Amino acid sequence: MKTPEAEIWRSFDVQSQTLSNGLQVLLVENPAIPAIAINATVLTGARYEPEDKAGLAIMASNLLDEGTTTRTSLAIAEAIEATGGHLETDASFERVVAAATVLKQDTDLGLELVADLLINPIFPEDYVSKEKSRTLAEIASAKDRPQVVAGWALNELIYGSHPLHRPAQGYPETIGQITRNDLQQFHEQFFAPNNAILSVVGDFKVDEIRARIEKRFGGWNRRPVSLPAIPKPVRQKERREKFIPMAAQQSNIYLGHLGIERTNPDFYALQVLDTILGGGAGFTARIPQRLRDELGLAYTTFASITMAAGIDPGRFVAYIGTSPENTKLAIEGLLNEIRRIVDEPVSQEELQDARDFLTGSFVFAFESSAQIARFLIQASVYNLGFDYGEKYPGFIKAITAEDISRVAGLYLDTENYTLTISGPMEER
Amino acid sequence: MSVSVDSSTFSGDVVRRTVLDNGLTVLTRELHTSPIVTSMIWYRVGSRNEELGQTGKSHFLEHMLFKGTDRFKKGSVDLLTLKNGGNNNAFTSHDFTAYYFNFASDRWDVALDIESDRMVNCVFAPAEFEAEKKVVIEELQMGLDSPWGLLLQELDAGAYKVHPYRNPVIGWLQDVERATSAEQQNYYRKHYYPGNATLVLTGDFETDRVLDQVFERFSAIPKRPDPPAVTAVEPSQRGEKRLQVQWRSKVPRLAIAYHAPQIAHPDSYALQVLNLVLTEGKTSRLYQRLVEREQSVTFATAEYAESKDPTLFHIRAEARGKHTAEEIEASIYEELQRIVTDGATTQELDRAKHLVQAHFILSRERAVDQAMLLGQVETLYGLSYIETYLNKISSVASEDVSAVCSRYLTAANRTVGYLIPDGSSASDVDEGDYEDA
Repeated sequence: MKTPEAEIWRSFDVQSQTLSNGLQVLLVENPAIPAIAINATVLTGARYEPEDKAGLAIMASNLLDEGTTTRTSLAIAEAIEATGGHLETDASFERVVAAATVLKQDTDLGLELVADLLINPIFPEDYVSKEKSRTLAEIASAKDRPQVVAGWALNELIYGSHPLHRPAQGYPETIGQITRNDLQQFHEQFFAPNNAILSVVGDFKVDEIRARIEKRFGGWNRRPVSLPAIPKPVRQKERREKFIPMAAQQSNIYLGHLGIERTNPDFYALQVLDTILGGGAGFTARIPQRLRDELGLAYTTFASITMAAGIDPGRFVAYIGTSPENTKLAIEGLLNEIRRIVDEPVSQEELQDARDFLTGSFVFAFESSAQIARFLIQASVYNLGFDYGEKYPGFIKAITAEDISRVAGLYLDTENYTLTISGPMEER
Repeated sequence: MSVSVDSSTFSGDVVRRTVLDNGLTVLTRELHTSPIVTSMIWYRVGSRNEELGQTGKSHFLEHMLFKGTDRFKKGSVDLLTLKNGGNNNAFTSHDFTAYYFNFASDRWDVALDIESDRMVNCVFAPAEFEAEKKVVIEELQMGLDSPWGLLLQELDAGAYKVHPYRNPVIGWLQDVERATSAEQQNYYRKHYYPGNATLVLTGDFETDRVLDQVFERFSAIPKRPDPPAVTAVEPSQRGEKRLQVQWRSKVPRLAIAYHAPQIAHPDSYALQVLNLVLTEGKTSRLYQRLVEREQSVTFATAEYAESKDPTLFHIRAEARGKHTAEEIEASIYEELQRIVTDGATTQELDRAKHLVQAHFILSRERAVDQAMLLGQVETLYGLSYIETYLNKISSVASEDVSAVCSRYLTAANRTVGYLIPDGSSASDVDEGDYEDA
C-alpha cells in the first residue's frame, strides 16, 4: 500500500550523463507548459575569493552577461528580451549560476546564451568600472536597512577569519581593489566543464535535446581545476555582542552562532527542530507563537539552523524586529525558547505536527521546472541522490523526541552566542 | 448553484465561473501537473473602502481572520495548515483582501472549511484584538524603516486630494492605535459576505466534484446587502506638486507619481506597454540612459498600479555616487519627451508584447500563480478582461504609446518626492569617493 506521501510525491525521471569534457548534464522532461528552465552552475563562489578581493565572485557573475567574445552586452539583452524569456546570473558563497527560462521555441537560444555566458565572458573594462561603482552604491543603499546591517554584523562575529564572515558583495575597500585581470583569472581558475553542472527541465524529449546541448557545451575545454581548501570555522566559546546605532523605528536583533553543513546526518532532525522552534506554517512555531502571538512584540520573528546549511557550516539564527523599548524582553524571549527546546523534550503532538508539515509540504519545492532544475543541482552537489523525493519522508518520520533533545543539546548554545542589534541608541 | 459559464480564456485553457444563489462567485481551473491545490478567496474590500480616521481597517481585519471563530479557535488556522503540510498567507491592497492556502491535493478541502467558516463567524475578542494591534503596529513601523515604504507613502498622500488611495493600506499609525474591536467587527459584517467574494480554486481536482464541495460549505451563508459604493472621484491635478521627506540616509532617492486611468480603461494598455518600454530589462529606455550611459542610478523602475479606480503611474530611482536627484529627474523627463516625440520603436513594441505573452504562459505553471491572476482579474475588472487582454496589448501602436505619454506623464499631472537626509545618517560609506578613481 502506498503511503500518503508517496501518493502526493510527484516523481520524475532524471537522466544523468557526463559529456566527454566532464560537464555533468541532468535532464528531466516536464511538458506541463511549453517552456524550459536551464540552470548552469559552476562550483565556485565567494568562499574561494581572496580576502582583499572580497566581492569578486558576485562581480564576476554580474558581468557574465555584459559581453562575450561573440556578443556585446546589448546584443545579449536584446536576444533574450525579444523572446519574453528571462536570463539571469547570480553567485553565492559556493555557486555561480547562469539560468534561463524560455518558451519552448526558444530552447536553442536559451542554451546558446547560457553557454556563451559561462564559456566566453570578456569582462569589458568599461563594464568592470561601471559594476564597481554600482556595487559601491548598492552597499551604501543596503546600509540604510537595519536588518541587513545587523545581519552583516552577526556574520562578522560568528565566522571570524573564515570567508563567510564577509558580506557576499564585498566591502567598499575590497571592491576598489578588484581589476579586470582578477575577474579573468577567477574565470580561468574555476569555470571549466569538469567543475560545472547543467540541469535542463521542461518541454523537450531527452533524446533530441542531448545533441543540442552537446553542440553548445561540447566545445568547452576541460582543464584541471583545484579548489583551494578552506579551514573550517571554529564555534565560539564565549559570548560576543555588537550594537549598531541607527535612527530606526525598530530594533533589529539577531542571536546566533555557527550552524551545520548540509551533509551533516543530523540535518533532518534539525529540520524538525526548526519547524517546532522557529519555522513551520504561519505562526505555529514556539518563537512566533510566544513573541508575536502572545506578547505582540513583533511582526517578523523566526529561528532556523538548517536554512543556511551549505558546504560550509551555516549559522543558527534567531531574529526579531521589535520596538526599541522591547529589546530586552525580546532577547530574553528568544533565549527562553532556545533554552526550553534544549532542556525539555518536545511533546509528541508537536513532533508529529512538525513531521507531517515537512513531509506534506515537500511537494511545493518541485512545482515548477525552475525549481526542479535547482533541486537537481542541490542533489548533485550534496549527494542527496535523485531518489531523494522518495527517501525524504522516511528521513523525517524516523526523527524522535529524543533525537530533537540530542541535536538541540549538541548544536544550540544558550551561553556562547553572538548577539547583534541595530536600532536607536537612546533605548539601550 | 445557478449560473455556470465556461470561459474559454487564454491559450484555450478553460476557467469555469459559477455563481451561487447567495452571490458567491467561484472560479475553477484544473491543472494536473502537480498534486497540489490552491484555494484563494478574494473580498472586494481594501483601503479604498475606508473612511478618514478609520484607515487600516481592511488590513487589520486580514490579521483578525486568523484569530479564531467558535469552530476554529485562535491558532487553529495555522495549526491545521501545519498538520496538513500546507502553507497559507493573506494580503490586502487598496482594492481587495485575499487569503490563500496551498495543500497537497488529497487534503486540500480543509481550506474550504476554514474559508466558509471565517467568512461570517470570526469572533473579535477585545483582548485578542488589542494583542494583535501591537503586531500590526510593529508591521507598520517595519515599513517605515524601508526608504521606499516611507517615500511612496508620503508621495501618494500628496498626489491625491480626495480619493482614499491617498492612505497607506496599513493605515496611519494614529488611526491604528485608536482602532477598537467593536468598530472592526462592524467593518467585517459590512464587507465579508458571499456576494462580495470570489473563491478561486486551481490545481489537481475534478471540477464537478469540487463545485459540490463548495456548495456544501458555502450555500447556507446568507445573502447580504451591498455596502454603499465608494463614490470619491479624484479631481484633476492643476500643476506640479513637489515634496521632500526627511530620512536618515544620505543616498538620494526620488519618486514621481502621475495620475493615470484605471486598468481596463482603453488607455491602460498603451500605458502598460509604456511601462515596459521605460524600465523592463536592460534594453529599456531608462536602464540604457541612467544605468548604462549616465551611471547615475543603482536602479530605475516604473510601476503602473493595477486598480479599480484611476491610479498612479510611478517612476522611481535611487541615485549613486555624486549624482543628484535633480539630475536624474531631468534625464527621466528627457526620455519621456523622446517617447512623446518619436513613440516606441517596432522592436520595443514587439519586445513588450512577447514579454506579456510569455508571462501568461509561464504563470500557468504553478497553481498559486494561476489563482492569483484569475482572482485579481475577476475582483477588479471581470474575467472577460483576460479574454481580450492579449489582443489589446498586441494592437498597441507606436503612436498610442506616445499619445498616453503626452496625455498623462505631464508636468502638471505629477507629484515629485525626494528622500533627503535628516542629519542622522546611518551610512558611513562614502561611495562618492570611488567614482573618479
